[in-house]
Amino acid sequence: MLLETKGLTKRFGELTAVDEVNLQIQEGDSLSVIGPNGAGKSTTVNLITGLLNPTEGKVLYRGEDITGQEPHEIVQQGLSKSFQTASIFPDLTVERNAVVASLGAEHGSFSLNFLRRLGNYDDVLERAEQTMRDMGLYEQRHVEAKSLPYGDKRRLEMALALASDPDLLFLDEPTAGMSPDETDDTVDLIERIKEERGVTIVLIEHDMEIIFRVSDRIAVLNRGAKIADGTPDEIQGDPDVQEAYLGGVEI
Amino acid sequence: MSEQTEAATPGESADASGLLDRWDGLRERESFSIAGAIAFVVVFPMIFTNLPAYNGYMSLVELIYIWAIFAIGFDLLLGYTGLLSFGHAVFWGGSAYAAGLFSANVSGEPLLIVLVAMVTAIVLALIIGILSLRRGGIYFAILTLAFGQMMYFIALGPLGGITGGEDGFTGVTVDPLLGALELGTGFAGVLGTLLHDIGYVLFAGFFVLAVAAAVRIVRSPYGAIFQAIAENEQRVRFLGLNVWRYKLAAFVISGAFAGVAGGLHTIHAQYVAVGSLFWITSGDIVIITVLGGIGSIFGPVTGTIAFLYVENIVSGEIAFWLLVLGALFVTVVWLFPAGIWGIVTGIRSTVREQLLGDDS
Amino acid sequence: MSVVGSVVGFMIQTLAVSSIYILVAIGLSITLGTLKFVNFAHAAMYLAGVYIGLGIALELQFSGDIARSIGLGNVGLDLGFLAALAIIPIITFGLGLLMERFVARPFYDRPDTDQILVTFGILLIVQELIRAFVGGRSLTFSRPAWAEGAISLGPLGTYASWRLAIIGITSVLVLAVYLYIEYTDVGLAVRAGTEDTEMVNLLGVRATRPFLVIFGVGSGLAGAAGVVGGPVFSVVPEVGVGVLVPAFLVVVVGGVGSIVGSVVGGLLIGAVEVGLVMNAPTWSSVGIYALAAVVLLVRPAGLMGAVEVDE
Repeated sequence: MLLETKGLTKRFGELTAVDEVNLQIQEGDSLSVIGPNGAGKSTTVNLITGLLNPTEGKVLYRGEDITGQEPHEIVQQGLSKSFQTASIFPDLTVERNAVVASLGAEHGSFSLNFLRRLGNYDDVLERAEQTMRDMGLYEQRHVEAKSLPYGDKRRLEMALALASDPDLLFLDEPTAGMSPDETDDTVDLIERIKEERGVTIVLIEHDMEIIFRVSDRIAVLNRGAKIADGTPDEIQGDPDVQEAYLGGVEI
Repeated sequence: MSEQTEAATPGESADASGLLDRWDGLRERESFSIAGAIAFVVVFPMIFTNLPAYNGYMSLVELIYIWAIFAIGFDLLLGYTGLLSFGHAVFWGGSAYAAGLFSANVSGEPLLIVLVAMVTAIVLALIIGILSLRRGGIYFAILTLAFGQMMYFIALGPLGGITGGEDGFTGVTVDPLLGALELGTGFAGVLGTLLHDIGYVLFAGFFVLAVAAAVRIVRSPYGAIFQAIAENEQRVRFLGLNVWRYKLAAFVISGAFAGVAGGLHTIHAQYVAVGSLFWITSGDIVIITVLGGIGSIFGPVTGTIAFLYVENIVSGEIAFWLLVLGALFVTVVWLFPAGIWGIVTGIRSTVREQLLGDDS
Repeated sequence: MSVVGSVVGFMIQTLAVSSIYILVAIGLSITLGTLKFVNFAHAAMYLAGVYIGLGIALELQFSGDIARSIGLGNVGLDLGFLAALAIIPIITFGLGLLMERFVARPFYDRPDTDQILVTFGILLIVQELIRAFVGGRSLTFSRPAWAEGAISLGPLGTYASWRLAIIGITSVLVLAVYLYIEYTDVGLAVRAGTEDTEMVNLLGVRATRPFLVIFGVGSGLAGAAGVVGGPVFSVVPEVGVGVLVPAFLVVVVGGVGSIVGSVVGGLLIGAVEVGLVMNAPTWSSVGIYALAAVVLLVRPAGLMGAVEVDE
């Protein structure tokens, strides 16, 4: 078991945003988390990645309890996250973006010397170049990130999330706001990442087409609680899901 | 801003030929910055002391170097890391007192005085940094202001016996440099024209060192991570980097610069005023850095020259220069966030675009 | 003096000192909690309260260099303390609305540091304007005649009427604002804004009317604090920052976004200050910072502060 949550619960005052959610993610298996707005999808991911501390419950990564650790500690263990809005360094060049990401991957342990030239860290620079080439951003390395087209920004965002060679990657609505073409490219990219890097992917998504293309399993959240969990076929036929989440709309 | 973003890796721009590119390649070299700083300390007094209304004393030039060290360090925090401290008077004033007390009771060797001042500032920065970084973002300015004021009141009240309280500390005794070189000893001939006296070499030398250290820090992995934190703190955290420790590191490094400056100021003024710990000193360094232009090495130096020139030379002519300064400050924050130096670099790149026809 | 008497005496002194800090802190706390806006210029509202209040209550002497060069003399309405206390909050409420509209709003989308810098700059300008027109020397803001003397509280001892007046005025103001925020739509916006940063971050929500009103109300209280504090603290241009820093500490200790937090924080800060003035005067100015440091280490969100989502 790569990742497991046990009775994960988050309350904000009287509101229970996440209610005893149990998730199991096998290595190499792609899971999609779906649910209507306000179902607690993003909060669940924030609890797992350490941005929020759960009120109750546990997060186990490779059997080890990582509940309440800081995001950077969790990332260092091989868990990474791509944000819904392209979370990049807008005023830095694409190359600088990649270099900072490689610094995180190679030197997360704060062992850097502040009087040593960055140009002397060959490992960091090589990894940055590799990351840019992998994501097809090398040609644009001298461009400021904010000047990239939207689709490229999202690719840079994903490049940052992948720089540390994570085993588990959370993708929060990776195609939000994209054109159909860009969406296609992104889905291809996700499939490529799965195959080439063997990354286990947890996808948070609205778009059913993408979900069925990418995921091996689907977990459905509604009002903070998990109401179904299974293969896409099982979920498609589940009357509870149709009732609660889709309101009777055909999938 | 462009200098440091291009600086990370030697560009592969050899194919794009031309004088400007060679100039850029030269500029990216660290030795170029250091040579520039050395040339600056030789040439600057000749220009500055001939400015209108200037009375010709070298003392103000030395004071500019001291404040510029303070400002360069402050900009590593504000301009590069995006953290606004309103308590930097603690490191300036605290180290100045430590320097004064050390000179009176232990040794008057200038280099040791500066060392003690720097170490004092580092210790203070660790304590205040850990406290002020307990709360995120916007609280940093409030908490540094508060703990800065605390040190002011401590120096006035409980420690009044050793700091001299409101009268300031008067017992500073500075010995000759390395036991032999009296700070007031002038040089003869060409050396005298260029470097004046031992004291000038001391202050200008530390200024060159500060520029070199700052350039190196900006080009280290720390510099890259500081800038990334300023742009998008959360992303840095999700790259697996411990943001809190890098912020503390930036605060301590910045404090160390202020400490060196504070120690030098004690040597220069032979006196420590309690006002050096007051919030107005913290406000001055904020104003100097922001007016000059944040996010570069030259911006804070420009700001220091402008501020000290006006404060010491022109303030007599303009009756309400603090009022003018406040209005100028708000204007810069509002309309020209890149400061005076930003305006200069803006003009420079416009001229270049004109020259090249097309800026790639 | 009896034990009860000295306890009551300590409490009354604490309440009097706390009152001014609480009045200034409430506005800071609400704008911090809802708008995530650090407002150094809040101290300018206190200064407006002191100086304009002095002109309304008694007489303001314009002896700054600019005033002298244009022949501006003394201006005084001589309407008395209570008139100033009634008029000033209205004036500073209006100034607060202007500040929200023309200073705060253009900066909601700019980096936090820019917000802080511009409010700091505006505080500097106000402070220097006062120096240029009124002058830098300390003025006298006399207490009203009716508050001179002392009132006997029977077996509890006899206390300065002035202190009791400050406590009474503050209690009324704070209670009124508390009820207003607790039982109206504005209060809903405050609570929602403090708890849900996401909502506040969405552009436009901040510019809605409740937040405008909040800014005004906070400024009104700070103005009132200036009138009440005029006779207590010195009347100099720097007193703005002198009051602002303890008010920030009140917010740090009490926690943001709630009036109860500001009251609790203010009382603690006041108690520490009064306690030290009585027992260890050299440390009196230092203790409140030590208190803030301890609270930060033990409970970073403040005593009454909700644990916030770190963005």
